Amino acid sequence: MPQLNPDPWFIILIFTWTVFLTILPNKITFYKIPNEPLNSDPLGSNMDTWSWPWY
Amino acid sequence: MMLNFFDQFASQSLLGIPLIAIAMLVPWLLFPSPYKRWLNNRLITFQYWFISRATNQLMLPLNINAHKWALILVALLLFLITLNLLGLLPYTFTPTTQLSMNMALAVPLWLATVLIGMRNQPTHSMAHLLPEGTPTLLIPILIIIETISLFIRPLALGVRLTANLTAGHLLIQLISTATFVMLSFMPTIAMLTFIVLALLTLLEIAVAMIQAYVFVLLLSLYLQENV
Repeated sequence: MPQLNPDPWFIILIFTWTVFLTILPNKITFYKIPNEPLNSDPLGSNMDTWSWPWY
Repeated sequence: MMLNFFDQFASQSLLGIPLIAIAMLVPWLLFPSPYKRWLNNRLITFQYWFISRATNQLMLPLNINAHKWALILVALLLFLITLNLLGLLPYTFTPTTQLSMNMALAVPLWLATVLIGMRNQPTHSMAHLLPEGTPTLLIPILIIIETISLFIRPLALGVRLTANLTAGHLLIQLISTATFVMLSFMPTIAMLTFIVLALLTLLEIAVAMIQAYVFVLLLSLYLQENV
């Protein structure tokens, strides 16, 4: 089986980890979630109804 | 020299550039960075949805200390899913069929979880070697068995991914060769084989995604045991 050829094993290891540690976290941290999820008040916050006109 | 069916997995090079290098560098062009705008385009919105939902799902069963691993686990998930799915296209090379790559990912990450456990809470990690409620007589044997299963984990992680993807690609190649060969003299059978091929390709798409997910999920479970 050609996968068992030990020749490029180390270089594949180095290359995989290089790509995995440099390119990917960059791509993912760009997707920042904007707001911290707040612990919502279980009783529900006291909000008044919408009293000003729609524009 | 006669090609056999396994030669599709040999590390190829084109003009001196190993194909695995191209296969690992180019897919990230499919993930554009989001604009600094309120609304992005559909591709970016879809990827954002996928990444944030995947992070949520992966971190659900883990305690707060394991959340430090969120970035690396989601990066791993994205890495594997992209490489697996792109490998299903014709004439592409799937790096995850290489045992070297999967072991390169599995062994260090598994070892990291074990070492974190051993360093921060050694008693708790050792306690996993003996399940609760074992009869006293079975304790020595069970500890040996659990230790063996602990050390087999990285092997299983790497080999599972390799074997699933290799077997899938091999099956696709076999059945497509069969369809092609039978097309001239047994066209009906060739049609049936083609339908099998279509179904198999759908299965392979599912397998590609599932295997990536399983890899990352198991790692997160090993992490949860040790953190």
